[in-house]
Amino acid sequence: MGKKILVVDDDPDVRSFVLTVLEENQYTPMVACDGVEGLEVIQKEMPDLVILDVLMPRGSGIRLYRHLKTDDALKAIPVIMFTGIALRSFLKSQKVLEAFKGEKIPEPDIYLEKPVEPQELVDAIRKKLD
Amino acid sequence: MSASKILIVDDEPTIVRLLDMSLKSDGYTTCTASSGEEALAVFEKQSPDIVVTDIKMPGMDGLELLKKIKDLDPDKEVIIVTGHGDIDSTITALQYGASDFINKPVRDEALAIALERAESKIRIREQLAAYTQNLEEKVAEATVEIRRRSNFQRLLIHSSHDAIVAFDRDWQIVVYNPEAARIFSKRARDVLNKMTIEDLYPPQLAAHFKKEAKNGTDDREDIPWKEMVLETRDKKQIPVRYATSVLHEKKEFMGIVNFFQDLTEIKRLERELIQSERMAAIGQTVSGLAHYVKNILIGLKGGSYVVNVGFQNDNMEKIKTGWQTIQKNIERVANLTQDMLTYSKERSPEVALCSPDEIVSEVKDLISDFAESNDIEIVTQCEPDLGQMWLDPGTVHRSLLNLVNNAIDACLQEEDPDRRFKVEIRTRKNEDGAAVFEVEDNGCGMDEETKTKLFTPMFSSKGGKGTGLGLLVTKKLVEEHRGTIDIDTRLGYGSVFTVTLPERPETARDQNDK
Repeated sequence: MGKKILVVDDDPDVRSFVLTVLEENQYTPMVACDGVEGLEVIQKEMPDLVILDVLMPRGSGIRLYRHLKTDDALKAIPVIMFTGIALRSFLKSQKVLEAFKGEKIPEPDIYLEKPVEPQELVDAIRKKLD
Repeated sequence: MSASKILIVDDEPTIVRLLDMSLKSDGYTTCTASSGEEALAVFEKQSPDIVVTDIKMPGMDGLELLKKIKDLDPDKEVIIVTGHGDIDSTITALQYGASDFINKPVRDEALAIALERAESKIRIREQLAAYTQNLEEKVAEATVEIRRRSNFQRLLIHSSHDAIVAFDRDWQIVVYNPEAARIFSKRARDVLNKMTIEDLYPPQLAAHFKKEAKNGTDDREDIPWKEMVLETRDKKQIPVRYATSVLHEKKEFMGIVNFFQDLTEIKRLERELIQSERMAAIGQTVSGLAHYVKNILIGLKGGSYVVNVGFQNDNMEKIKTGWQTIQKNIERVANLTQDMLTYSKERSPEVALCSPDEIVSEVKDLISDFAESNDIEIVTQCEPDLGQMWLDPGTVHRSLLNLVNNAIDACLQEEDPDRRFKVEIRTRKNEDGAAVFEVEDNGCGMDEETKTKLFTPMFSSKGGKGTGLGLLVTKKLVEEHRGTIDIDTRLGYGSVFTVTLPERPETARDQNDK
């Protein structure tokens, strides 16, 4: 049984694509459609890695990411941001939030901008897990 | 005026003394002389205002003294004291400019009256002098001022950026500044006071102004700025803006003034501005589209990867999933293309007798699966039934589908976990008999800024998931149907979009005629 990887993305096309990539590479995939569902699955299943979209309804990826990184029980789980949002915009939003909330959150381990070739995604996962 | 100084001249010392005492007691200043020669010396030294002299004296007599004094200063008054019946001397004295005569023996009253008259003459002369001098100064001042003003006005007209052309009542050109010379390409010296309105203006324009002149009756009638293309006599086409003042004096036509502004440069700048705005819009459009197309591409690539995996593993389930993704994205490309075509092309509504309520239920059927999977309730409220109406069913369908999709997206973006999301579609007729469609959601709503940007091309509040064309296309369709679209929204509480479409039976007939 491969390591557990959770995909949180509201787009069913992205979910099926990532799911297929994970299956093909012998991981155990799990899916969630939004941030709220994502957190539930994480707390229940404690995945080895989370692939996280940024723009999602009901609990955005930004919120879920900040939650993961400030929760002592969950902060060790590596996160790959997987999104159509440019890294620059994402980092800027983080900076604004940090100034606003007065807390410093580490930058995401890996940030992948869609579109991503299956091999790129696999390489990123291997880098974190192996 | 202070009391006058009087010189008393008589060869009889008694008379001199008597007069001297009398005048002093009346408040005059006096000086005396007992002969003509002495009198002249005293006169030059003391400069009295009035001289009272006996006519008959040894040596220089009164008449000679009078003449000499008048030669010295014509403004001095001389009163001659004569004996009775001495007519010849009196006439001579008058010729020499004596101011008055009194008879011997000198009576106080007669002297007093003569002195008063002399004094009043002096006073009038002084006032006149003062007045005249003042007048001269005033005229000099006014002349300077007038010259200054006229220079100023000349300069003003000369250096004006407007071309100024004025005609007198005979339509002669009396003002023609350098800018006018530039626009009309004729030199001032060939035009001023030589040409009439017909020589300078194209015939139509000349006729136009002549007509304007006849209409006016007030002192000045200003005809506001208008634009035209001026074709000069040498066939130049110049876009101009012009204003006219018709001048009247006492209801009589005095002439007209025209002001022309050359708009060539402004028109050029306008063209450049429009061009650059168009380029900016294209830039914005392209980058918005690129983003959206990129997302479709991601879907297609992901889908084909999943299909490939399905083939490799002989997994029918995978092939189906991937194929669905591909189909969905083909659909997105089709919709995008249609939206772009709709937005970019003029189109008139294709009106037919149709049932708005049926279209509402079609739209509901189309999106109900997706809404259900996202826990969003779709409610329709179509009572009473609108029946058959002359509308473009395509406009109704596309507009409603767009608005309902937006409403669902608004629900998906709202993060309140306890809210039961609902999209309601209502139809009714308004007082004018137009069909009204309302789409209400209890989703995220919009702030003012988002609301104002709603109809901006390629503006999307949905990240890469919107084309930014949907509402724009809806608005265009609705407006082509001569309808309206209104928005009522509150951030955090939801929005209501109201589309009102008037019936267009005449459009249907036009199309049938064709």
